[in-house]
Amino acid sequence: MILSHMEQYQPALDGLFQALADPTRRAVLGRLGRGPASISELAEPFDMALPSFMKHIHVLEQSGWISTRKQGRVRTCAIETAPLAIVDDWLVAQRKLWEARTNRLEQFLADTNPKETPR
Amino acid sequence: MTRPFDPARDLVINRIIKAPRARIWQAWTEPAKLERWFLPAPSLCRVITLDLTPGGALLTEMSESGGAFMPHIDACILAADKDERFVFTDALTAGWRPGKEPFMTAVITMKDHAEGTEYAALAMHKDPETRALHEKLGFHDGWGTVTEQLARLVESGA
Repeated sequence: MILSHMEQYQPALDGLFQALADPTRRAVLGRLGRGPASISELAEPFDMALPSFMKHIHVLEQSGWISTRKQGRVRTCAIETAPLAIVDDWLVAQRKLWEARTNRLEQFLADTNPKETPR
Repeated sequence: MTRPFDPARDLVINRIIKAPRARIWQAWTEPAKLERWFLPAPSLCRVITLDLTPGGALLTEMSESGGAFMPHIDACILAADKDERFVFTDALTAGWRPGKEPFMTAVITMKDHAEGTEYAALAMHKDPETRALHEKLGFHDGWGTVTEQLARLVESGA
């Protein structure tokens, strides 16, 4: 990725985007956007064996998109809002980067101006 | 030929810079000068290649506070019109070879202005994942607010 000081967010962003690169996981996030749900509720619409479905849940959990909590025999999943802010903030981050870069360019030109001698 | 500005993934910085176009051009295209302002201190920038021809490489490394130099930009220059326009992208690398992680194209333009130069930096980004996400999740409440803030910021700055 170019020109970015998103390097610091990079591992997180990669994981977040990779987690989204699958229709089942996007559908699970879409469902969780309406509120927390148990694994069995989440798995119900999918024609998929539970172990396969759990792999998707693990990917979502490890990337930070969701948190899970076990109460008795029921595991409940909930969406995390922080990742969305990270994903959404990338353009803001790019803008800041370019603003700061332009400030430095301007400062450099002022500092090296041959016409004005610094006092 | 040019596509309209897309506020969801493009940004533009407009600035009147009190310096002639030629000096801004030099600051961008002379490695020793570019290295002095491209990265914020204490990071250091090292220009490996800056080949001012279409298809030429823009290859830089960065060091965070004096540590080992790491790859920074590996881009291809698309246009280098002296004192007017500098365009590069990481969708390609040197010699127009497709890049590994296409992310953005930058268009730097300079026009004469009474106070110096009318400078613009346009950055166009690829970000299909984010847009797909927005569509899929249908955005509501808190998330919509984030997007609105984003749009306002982009509009007010553009």
